[in-house]
Amino acid sequence: ESWDMPTPYGDSTFHTQNIIQFADDVRAATDGGLDITIHSAGSLFPHSEIKSAVRNRSVPIGEFFLSTLSNEDLAFGIDSQPFVATSYEDAAKLWEAQRPVITELLAEQGLMPLFSVPWPAQGLYTNGEIATVEDLNGLRFRAYNAALEEFAALAGAAPVQIEASDIPQAFATGQVAAMITSPSTGVNSTAWDFVTHYTPINAWVPKNIVVVNQRVFDGLDADTQAAVLDAAMTAQARGWEMSAAEATDMTAALAENGITVYEPSEELVTGLRAIGATMLETWNANASDSAKAVLEAYEN
Amino acid sequence: MNRFLQRLYDICGALAGGLILCICVLISAQIILNGFGRILPGALPSTIPSYADFSGYMLAGATFLALAHTLRSGGHIRVNLVISRFRPAVQVWFEAFALLISIGLIGYAAWFMASLVLESLHYGDVSTGIIPVSLWIPQSVAAFGIALLWVAVVHTLADLIRTRAPVLSTPDEV
Amino acid sequence: MSDPLIGLTLLGLLIALLACGVWVAVSLSLVGLAGLVFFSNAPSGLIIASTFWGHSHSWALTALPLFILMGEILLRSRMSDDMFTGLVPWLARAPGRLLHVNVFGCAIFAAVSGSSAATAATIGRMSVPELTKRGYPESLILGTLAGSATLGLLIPPSIILIVYGVATEQSIARLFIAGILPGLMLICLFAGYVAVRAWMNPTLIPPIDESFSFKQKIMASRRLLPVALLIGGVIGAIYGGLASPTDAAALGVVLASILAWASGSFSWALFGAAVMSATRTSCMIALILLGAAFLSVSMGFTGLPRNLAAWISDMGLSVTALLVVLTLFFVVLGCFLDGISVIVLTTSIIMPMITAVGIDPLWFGIYLVIVVEMSQITPPVGFNLFVIQGLTGIDILRIAKAAFPFFLLLLLGVVLITIFPQIVTVLPNMMSN
Ligand code: NA
Ligand code: NA
Repeated sequence: ESWDMPTPYGDSTFHTQNIIQFADDVRAATDGGLDITIHSAGSLFPHSEIKSAVRNRSVPIGEFFLSTLSNEDLAFGIDSQPFVATSYEDAAKLWEAQRPVITELLAEQGLMPLFSVPWPAQGLYTNGEIATVEDLNGLRFRAYNAALEEFAALAGAAPVQIEASDIPQAFATGQVAAMITSPSTGVNSTAWDFVTHYTPINAWVPKNIVVVNQRVFDGLDADTQAAVLDAAMTAQARGWEMSAAEATDMTAALAENGITVYEPSEELVTGLRAIGATMLETWNANASDSAKAVLEAYEN
Repeated sequence: MNRFLQRLYDICGALAGGLILCICVLISAQIILNGFGRILPGALPSTIPSYADFSGYMLAGATFLALAHTLRSGGHIRVNLVISRFRPAVQVWFEAFALLISIGLIGYAAWFMASLVLESLHYGDVSTGIIPVSLWIPQSVAAFGIALLWVAVVHTLADLIRTRAPVLSTPDEV
Repeated sequence: MSDPLIGLTLLGLLIALLACGVWVAVSLSLVGLAGLVFFSNAPSGLIIASTFWGHSHSWALTALPLFILMGEILLRSRMSDDMFTGLVPWLARAPGRLLHVNVFGCAIFAAVSGSSAATAATIGRMSVPELTKRGYPESLILGTLAGSATLGLLIPPSIILIVYGVATEQSIARLFIAGILPGLMLICLFAGYVAVRAWMNPTLIPPIDESFSFKQKIMASRRLLPVALLIGGVIGAIYGGLASPTDAAALGVVLASILAWASGSFSWALFGAAVMSATRTSCMIALILLGAAFLSVSMGFTGLPRNLAAWISDMGLSVTALLVVLTLFFVVLGCFLDGISVIVLTTSIIMPMITAVGIDPLWFGIYLVIVVEMSQITPPVGFNLFVIQGLTGIDILRIAKAAFPFFLLLLLGVVLITIFPQIVTVLPNMMSN
C-alpha cells in the first residue's frame, strides 16, 4: 500500500519534519507495507483544499491548520481564541477537551484525526515597545481572520488584511505596523528586516492536525492500523516537544538578529486578558453546543 | 437553436466581463479605505471583510463563465502551425479529432465538477475567511461554465459536420 | 514501466496532441489525466475537479485580468500612440530605436506586476501593433517582448519568488532585494543585444529621418505625461503602502480609464470592447493555468519530477557539475511544466542537495527564477508564448523561434551570476548590515 500525503508547509518547518519522521516510523513498523509519500508546501493541493481532498479520497491522509475550520464549527477554532490557552500545559489540556468533540464532528465527514501538533505561542511584533494596550491605539494591525479583526478593533487598532506572503512588503511600506504571529514565522520571514520589538504575549497556541479518511483506514489490516495509530501517538508526543524547543530556539534567534525581545508588562497582560474575556463572551454567544462543551470540559 | 446558443455564450461572456469590473471596484474601494485610514484614522471602517476571498471567487466566476464565449470567438489558443500545412480536406479530420477529444475531456471535468458541487452542498462547506461563504455557490458557477464550454465544443463540432470545412484554423494575423 | 519511459511516453503524447491542433489547455489536462489513470492509483475525476476549482480563485491571480484590462484601455485610447510618438525623438539615434520600448517598458512594468504573463500582455498589447505599424521586423518585436516580459518574475514584486520563499522559508524581502541587480543585468543584456543586432545590420531597423532639436524633444515629451502619471501612480501606491501589488492592478485600471477619458478619444463603446477583450485573454490564460496545474498535480502523484531530482541527487556531483546538470534538468522540465510547478514539485529533493554542497539558498532562488524565466519562452509550454499568440494570432512555434536569442541571453545571465555571485548577494548583504 502506498499513500500520498499533502501538507501545506515547507520541508524546513518542524511540522513537516515531524510528519516525515511519522512516515518513516510507519514504514519501519509495517516493514514497508504502508509507504507514505509526503508532498509538502502545498505541492499537491492548496491548503484550503486539503481537507476536502482527504474527505473524497483523492488522497487518504493530509495535514491542515485546525482553526481554518472554525467557520464550520467554533469547536475547531477555540485554539485560536486569544487568551484562552496561553501555555503548552493549557494547550495540552485544551486539546484533550477538544479531541473527543472534533473527532465526532470530523466523523460526520468521514475523517478521523490522527494527531495534532501546536505552533509556538503567538507573540506581538511591533516597532517600538508596547507597554499598555493603549499603545496599540491607532496602529495598523495585521488581521487574517475574524477573531483577529475583532481583537484589533477591541484594542483600538486598525485591522488590515494582509496575506502571509505580503507581510514583509506591507511592513516595509507602512501598510501595517504590528502583527501577532509565532516566533517561527517571525524568523522564517526575517522579521528583523522590518520590526524592532517582539514580546511573547502568548496570545494563543494554534495547532495543525493530521487526519485520515476513515474508510481508507478501515480498509487496512489490523496490524497496519495499529502501526499507524502507534506512530501517530509517537508523532504527537514528539511534535509537542519539537514545538517547545522551537519556541525557545526561535525566540533566541529573534534576539540574536537584533530584535529587542522583552517580557510583556503586567499592565499589558491585564489589558490583553480583558480583551480576551470580552471576545470569549462574543464567542460563547455564537458557539454551538459542541463548541461550548469543549470550553466547559477545558475550564473544569 | 444556433442563435440562441450564441446569445447564451455572449451573455455569459458579458457577465464575466462584469465580474472583472466588480473585482476592480471592490479592490479600488479597499484602496480608498486604506487612504482614509492614513489621513483620517477611524473615520471609515478600515477593511472590507474578506475582500481577497470575494475577489478570488469573482475571478473564478469570470474565468468559467467566459470559457464558451472565448472558445466561440477563437480566443483559446492551439498550435496550428503543423496542421495548417495540410489541405483543408485533411484539416477537417484533424479538427474533428481535436473536437471529439475535447468533448471527452471537458465532459469528464464537467461531470466531476458537478459532483464537487454536490459534495460541498452535502457537507455544507464554507470558506475559511472572515465572512463564511457557502462554497457551492461559486462552485456551481464554475460547473455551469465548464458545462457550457462542453455545449460550445459540441456546437462547434456540429458546425464542422454541417460545413465540412475547417472551422477552427484561422490564418496567422498580425 | 520505468520512470524515463513513462516520462517519454507522456512527452510524446503532449507533443502529438498539440501538433494535432488540440487546444493547449485541453492537451495539458489530457496528459495529466493519462498520467493519473495509467501511472498512479489516484481517483482522477475528483482530482481534476478539485484542482480546477482550487486553482481558479487564488488572490494572487486576480491581478492578471486587471493588468490585461489596463493594457486594453491604453491600446484603445490615444495614450499608447502618444507614448510612442513621445519616445520617437529620444530613441531616434539609439541603435535599435523603438525596440527598446519593449525592453524598458517591460522592465518598468515588471516593477508593478508580479507575473511575466501580465507583463507580456500589457506591454505587448500596445507595442506590437505600434511597432508593426512602424515597420519593425516581426522576429525582433516578438523576441524582445517575449524575452523582456520574463523580467516580471525577477524584478520585485514577483509571485514566483514568493512561492520559492514560502516553500523554502527564505525571507521574501531579501529575495526581492536580491532580484534587483540581476534584473538590471538582464535589462542591459537585452538592450545590448538589440543594439548589436541593429548595429550589425542597419537596414533591419526602420529609420527615423527627422532630426529633433532639444526643444522639440521636450515638446514631444509632454505626450509621455499620461503614461508617466499612470506608472508613477501605481508604483507610488505600492511603495507608499496604500496598495499591495495585487491591489495596484485595480488602481492601474482606474487610473488608465481616467487618463484615457481625460485625453479625449475614449468612449463607453471602447471601454466595453476593452473589457470584453481582456475577459477573453484572461480566460484563455486562466484555462491554460488550470490545465498546467492539473498536469503538475498529476506529476506529483506519479512522482516523476521527484524521482528525476532524486536521481540527480544520487550522482554526488561537485557544485559546478551540479549546477550544470540542474540547469539542464530545469530547462527540460521547463519545456513542459510551468515555472511555479517546476519549483513546488522539486524543491523537496533539490533543496537538501543545494544546502549539502553549500550553495546559498538565497542565490539559488534567483538562479531558479532566471531558469524559470527561460521556461516561459520555450515551447511547447511557455506562458509568454501563449500570451503573445493570444495577442497576435502568430503561432507559438514562430514566437519561440523569435525568442530563442533571449533564451540564450538568459542562459548567459545564469552563467554570469554563477561566476559573479556578488551580483545577487551584494544588496541583501548590505541590507543586513
Ligand atoms: Na515583477
Ligand atoms: Na516552457
